[in-house]
Amino acid sequence: MISSSKWIGPAVLAGMCLLPLPLGIYPQHVLIVSLFYVMMAASWNLLAGYTGQVSFGHAAMAGIGAYTSGILAAKAGVNPWVGVAAGTLLAALLGLGLGALCLKMGGIYLSLTTLAFSQILHIIIVNEYEVTRGTMGLQVPGLTAEYSKLTYYYILLAATVLVLFILYRMIHSNLGLSFRAVQNDETAARAVGVRVLHLRVLAFTVASAMAGFAGGLYGHYLLLITPEIPSLDLQFYVLAMTVIGGMGSFVGPIVGAFAINILAEKIRDYGEYHVLVFGLIALVVARFAPEGLTGVWRSLGRRRTP
Amino acid sequence: MLLEGRKISKRFGGVQALSEVDFHVEAGSITALIGPNGAGKTTLFNIVAGAIKPSSGQTVFEGREITGLPADEICRRGIARTFQIVRPFATMTCLENVLVAAVNRHPRRPRAALEPGARDLLAQVGLADLAGQEARHLNVVQKKLLELARALATEPRLLLLDEVLGGLNTQEILQAVEQIRRLRDRAGITILWIEHVMGAIMQAADRVIVLDQGRVLTAAPPREVVSDPRVIRAYLGE
Repeated sequence: MISSSKWIGPAVLAGMCLLPLPLGIYPQHVLIVSLFYVMMAASWNLLAGYTGQVSFGHAAMAGIGAYTSGILAAKAGVNPWVGVAAGTLLAALLGLGLGALCLKMGGIYLSLTTLAFSQILHIIIVNEYEVTRGTMGLQVPGLTAEYSKLTYYYILLAATVLVLFILYRMIHSNLGLSFRAVQNDETAARAVGVRVLHLRVLAFTVASAMAGFAGGLYGHYLLLITPEIPSLDLQFYVLAMTVIGGMGSFVGPIVGAFAINILAEKIRDYGEYHVLVFGLIALVVARFAPEGLTGVWRSLGRRRTP
Repeated sequence: MLLEGRKISKRFGGVQALSEVDFHVEAGSITALIGPNGAGKTTLFNIVAGAIKPSSGQTVFEGREITGLPADEICRRGIARTFQIVRPFATMTCLENVLVAAVNRHPRRPRAALEPGARDLLAQVGLADLAGQEARHLNVVQKKLLELARALATEPRLLLLDEVLGGLNTQEILQAVEQIRRLRDRAGITILWIEHVMGAIMQAADRVIVLDQGRVLTAAPPREVVSDPRVIRAYLGE
């Protein structure tokens, strides 16, 4: 088991590298969007899954990344890669601030505060038409001189691997032990010396930076940045992906992001109702399989090999 | 004097849980904290450990005031605790439960360097064979032992034990009392111990603090306490 699990990562990565080659433009697009969602869900999981901070401001952080980089590129001619770095940094700083603001809050108060942050940002973007082009959307240059889906796929794949690698290292370090202790029981974690407040702010900063990074790249892929990125719709997508995939597990959000995004494309014909469908699926999963798809998979494995 | 409480009061809404409690714990002692249900024992523990803040009063540990410090800071100052209702990290293995405490005591040391010590602590409480087992699969007694190992991994100078003997049979109680004594004798850890099992306290404690309705009734060696008419009245009524 141990020897086989060692090969899972590289094997999946090799598979992911080959996957888009035989596919057409449209499925390649779906995969690229899926990779964006993997970064979003995996980093949100660090907040909600590992430190119990159910933030509704994660899509807003992606918006910060996208608009920072987009505005710099479109208005000041800044290189998009530099812009993405700037967006990542700004999202990290805002994450630090938001995390510090929410420090002593828990549960619903933290959720409401981050929700307010997200809505404020949305209103600013929609109303500052001169700078952001509002709901019309801001046209931005691409990351590369020539636009190719395949290039974007590999850029997003590399970014996703980087994000997942950092998250993996964090979760499997001494820090990760403390994260999991907080996730299990905050009171007991404090009692054994875990600096819970430090951890929460750190998680907020890192997760926000990752969302900003993902959002920045995503914006330059779409070439048109709209308030759809920092929207509650996108936020709830990320939430549903994480919950359905398995909150608090490393693989859960990855599986959830691919499953939900691909499913979303399939049932797109039903219009806005597909959001309703995901809401219902998330509810059912939260009620009957709180550990998500990966939890179901694990318990099936346990039954097979007792 | 290792720990001192000065005029500690705590009010929960309309309930006065503690009123002006003065107490102290001598370094190197096993001090028991007893009293009828609702006397305020666990509230006092929670205040010392930083889980809640007192309405007024001070706690002083090793000559420095620790009143109102967060629980993790108090842990770093050298006070560890167990919980009356066990709180292990359920989805983590026994070894990981102990390691969490160890890595937070020594943040710069790699996990591999701390693992032998953690395994040793598990062996001390008799859980060596269960090191790889997730804590949620343990029974209540094992969970209590795990909490003890976890508390010890923070390398405390003062250990707060909250009813660790509940649910143990006579044989196990004898072993546990022996173990707690050893902690004091060999590791030099001072112990403040809430307990209902009077026999154990008679055997192990140097001094007993009796709380009743949020006030200190008396503080004396166990022999004197059990024959004190005020204590008997507090437990049995008029």
